[in-house]
Amino acid sequence: MDPLEICYMSAGQLSGLIQSKEISPVEVIDAHLARIDATEPILNSFITLLPDEARAAARRAEADIRAGKYRGPLHGIPVGLKDLFNTAGVRTTSGSKIFDNFIPAEDCTVATKFRQAGSILLGKLNMHQFAYGPTGENPDYGHMHNPWDPELVTGGSSGGSGSATVAGQCTITTGSDTGGSVRIPAALCGIVGLKPTYGLVSRHGLTPLSWSLDHPGPMVRTVEDAALTMNVIAGHDSKDVASAKVDIPDYTTALTGDVKGLRIGVPEEYFEAPLDPNVGQAVRDALDLLESMGAEVKPVSFPMFKDAFPISTAILMAEASAFHRDLLAKDADKLYPPIRLRLEAGLFISSADYLRAQQARTLFDRQTRQLLEDVDLLAGPTEPVTAPKILAARVQAGETSLGTTPALTQYTRPYNITGMPAISIPCGFSDAGLPYALQLAGRPFDELTVLRAAHAYEQATDWHKRRPPI
Amino acid sequence: MPEESRLSKEAFLFMAESAGIDVTGEHVDELFSIVQATLAGLDSLKEIDVTDAEPDMSFAPDGA
Repeated sequence: MDPLEICYMSAGQLSGLIQSKEISPVEVIDAHLARIDATEPILNSFITLLPDEARAAARRAEADIRAGKYRGPLHGIPVGLKDLFNTAGVRTTSGSKIFDNFIPAEDCTVATKFRQAGSILLGKLNMHQFAYGPTGENPDYGHMHNPWDPELVTGGSSGGSGSATVAGQCTITTGSDTGGSVRIPAALCGIVGLKPTYGLVSRHGLTPLSWSLDHPGPMVRTVEDAALTMNVIAGHDSKDVASAKVDIPDYTTALTGDVKGLRIGVPEEYFEAPLDPNVGQAVRDALDLLESMGAEVKPVSFPMFKDAFPISTAILMAEASAFHRDLLAKDADKLYPPIRLRLEAGLFISSADYLRAQQARTLFDRQTRQLLEDVDLLAGPTEPVTAPKILAARVQAGETSLGTTPALTQYTRPYNITGMPAISIPCGFSDAGLPYALQLAGRPFDELTVLRAAHAYEQATDWHKRRPPI
Repeated sequence: MPEESRLSKEAFLFMAESAGIDVTGEHVDELFSIVQATLAGLDSLKEIDVTDAEPDMSFAPDGA
């Protein structure tokens, strides 16, 4: 089998071939390692590669499967973890040379679950330092590069996860999403990124950025793979104080292809915000398609959308600075200067401002829930623009020039504030060949409806089948 | 630089020093500017009527 075709198979496709022994996990891992060798000099997706460990794990998986010990759809599937997911015996840097030699003694819960499912860890993925930024900048381990155009950002903070997934370096990757860090690189790289409901996937063993806003989630090339990954990583964890005690469904049951009767609300405010008109048109076209498939699409009003930025800024900056305070005291001069400035600035947010933001968060959450009483999903763009150039301080969104960080997090922050599930899926390409993305958000713990709509749209289009020219 | 300053340079330097930030470094002026901009950006929170809203410190949605 052509190794490149192996690299572009979904976990859903590979798992069938692995289970039937038509392909060996060793062949799968070798194909991916070759793909990494060929593309990594351009992309810089990885901080740590584990070729020997991955080949050894692949041989064990092959032997187990031959012996009839098939563990399920992720057995033998190549996985990459963002480098803030602790991995026993494998360094975990959080994207900073300060932790270049930090080797955790135990796995984070997500890594444990992948191991138990028989997945094979290919390596640890590059990221915006300490996950504190939406572009994928990292002077310590090198900036990440977008496979659609290496002069452009991947998006962040889970930038290596975005580039590795769309370039066929990994089948499944993970990210953590505090203001959009799963969905932003998913959108700018043209893959699927799911931010699950807060508390559904354990944060245990992940370096925090903001305790009350952090959400780990899958980054993959198909909605089916998002569902398969959620089947493995979702669930209660007593080691995470925020972990939810809810029943975990089989997420693949959502993949019906049917959106008849689904009510999708489109906040008018999303289209009044700074937005590249071509992105806006692609999203409207996607919503028209969903409507033609039987969904009811209607405008809704979300007046507090404009408040998402100050609410999440106050909470995120205060919590990030609190977590990293000791690091600031000890190693401030070793931090990437923009990260140092953000962390130090967060120390000036008063407890009164922080708590006022939490009060406003209550109102923001209440309004979003009221919207979701009348509709099943909220839809809009994931990003107002396509991927900007690396280190660009500002972007042009339609007629408005605005800072890169507020622009890239404009549509993603609301669902970190509310903790609601939100997915980003490709919904078109610009004339320059850069991906556009649609975001769908649902009620707490209703990932099934989010996945259902995303999958139906995906199956009706071919955007997810495009490959970057690398 | 925001139009209205919530924090004088003197107050900023006092708070920075109290927080353990090296105020002799070259980056202090830039930090002051970022702090001013950040605090100015949070002023819009004052326009939200939070009278009946308690801070939700559990963070987790219903069902958790």
